[in-house]
Amino acid sequence: MLMPHWFPVALLLAFLSLDETAFGQFMVSRPIVVGPLVGWLIGRTDIGLEMGALIELIWIGDVPVGAHLPLDLAMLSGTAVALACELVSNSNPQAAMTYALGVSIPLAALSTEGEVVLRKFHIRWLHFAQRMAFNGHIKTFEWLNALVLAEQWVKGFLVAAISLTLAHLSSGLFYLLGGVLGGKVIEGFYYAHWLLLALGCSAVIDLLVEKKTAIYLGLTIVAMMTLAVFSPLQGVHLVAIALIGGFVLALFFVGKKEAVG
Amino acid sequence: MSPEKTAAPVVRVNFFDLAQCFWRTFFLQVLWNFERYLSYGVTFVLMPVLKKIYTTPEERAQAMTRHLEYFNSHPYMTSFILGAVIRMEEEKQQQPKAKQKQKEEEISALKVGMMGPVAAMGDSLFWATIRPYCGLIAVTLVLSHAFQIKGEYWVIPLFFLVIYNTAHVGIRFLGFLQGYRQSDQVVLALRKYGFQQAIRGLRLASILLLGVLIVFVNLSVLEKEVGLFLLKLTFFTAIVGLFTFALHRKISPSQMFYAVLLFALMLAFWPTLSAPPVLSLGGQ
Repeated sequence: MLMPHWFPVALLLAFLSLDETAFGQFMVSRPIVVGPLVGWLIGRTDIGLEMGALIELIWIGDVPVGAHLPLDLAMLSGTAVALACELVSNSNPQAAMTYALGVSIPLAALSTEGEVVLRKFHIRWLHFAQRMAFNGHIKTFEWLNALVLAEQWVKGFLVAAISLTLAHLSSGLFYLLGGVLGGKVIEGFYYAHWLLLALGCSAVIDLLVEKKTAIYLGLTIVAMMTLAVFSPLQGVHLVAIALIGGFVLALFFVGKKEAVG
Repeated sequence: MSPEKTAAPVVRVNFFDLAQCFWRTFFLQVLWNFERYLSYGVTFVLMPVLKKIYTTPEERAQAMTRHLEYFNSHPYMTSFILGAVIRMEEEKQQQPKAKQKQKEEEISALKVGMMGPVAAMGDSLFWATIRPYCGLIAVTLVLSHAFQIKGEYWVIPLFFLVIYNTAHVGIRFLGFLQGYRQSDQVVLALRKYGFQQAIRGLRLASILLLGVLIVFVNLSVLEKEVGLFLLKLTFFTAIVGLFTFALHRKISPSQMFYAVLLFALMLAFWPTLSAPPVLSLGGQ
């Protein structure tokens, strides 16, 4: 009993998860990229993009500072999008997305724990590398890089395959909850989706807004609200205004010389 | 310095060696571990230069072992340190034997002294500013449905990757180059780029985007009634305030997710609420 498309999705997640630590950090492992890619593989890019955006927003402040290991967001978004795409054909999209996210968080946490174990195991590789360096075996020392990359890829594939299978097995529960409780649970998941966007906005505030700058947020909301109500400018135009405004602001500050002393 | 006084024939690091080392910086965290963090990555990056500078197996082994000491920093900003270390290794090899030990200590001191401040700057600049800013642009574009209408879904992730990696690869490359040029004076180069000002500017720009996002989430009701839109926006802002307070108390986003889910389920089972809210966020 396996999820359809599990193999290409697991392959993709294994490659993308290398970007989290082992290679590059080009951010191809971020939910906003993983979500639409997995959605595209399954044939629902729209669901993937929307889920990716939601996950990106909620976990925007979970950053790898020092030895802290954030939640495995590549696995979280990959599993959640794959499950949501499976459920969405028979249910409300927002409810399906919320349920898929709820199932995928513990799986992503398990993946993070797997990464901790692997990093502890890497100490052995480090000692091996040190012996190779001491004895002058340079080629072996350098090949260790490729070996560890392969190890990380295999770990990513196995975790993705297990997560996708467990997520697929949980899909029955979604239909059961929908059927037994007369749609009330599905309605709850629907409400939660809107509240999750509020949670995402809170995560951004928690990360970026300080007491000194909170006034700017209030002013922006009032300005955008006024624009939305009294002007024909809507939708993408508001984003364009914010982008141009932000660009001007950034240029203004970057151009200023840092005070010395 | 004349070649006669040096320990070995003068070996110059060329552009090809530097390019090789720069490419290897993308593998810096491959053997991330809880004992010495990025030490293997640092040695792996320096290998093309170490192989060229140190001609005898004993010297190479000694240099590699020296670089396998504890090192932890930000993966992008470490390029400032790595560029400087390559230059200092090159300088060390050109010095008389008697002074080489001192240079080794200087290299080690540079790594130890700079890894903390550089990591703090990188965390603040990339993880807490540039990445959230790029992510916020992408999320706002997704919720505006600007590209979904035409089915051009790939535009937003691609846009995210291009703007983020312009900053990422640009600073990595700049850091590596400046590190190599400035050697142990690289810390002065770091100050002149005004990263702190960029952080302030980008954070304000992010706040602007967040304001748009908060209005956006509630925009679809506006077509029905202005009063309802304002009411919904006020309610939404109040919830955002409440959640921010909770996140500020160090409750993780995952814990908050389940709390939100529980609250939403309670709302659904509340007898007076029978219909789903007017808003549809997915565009379906």
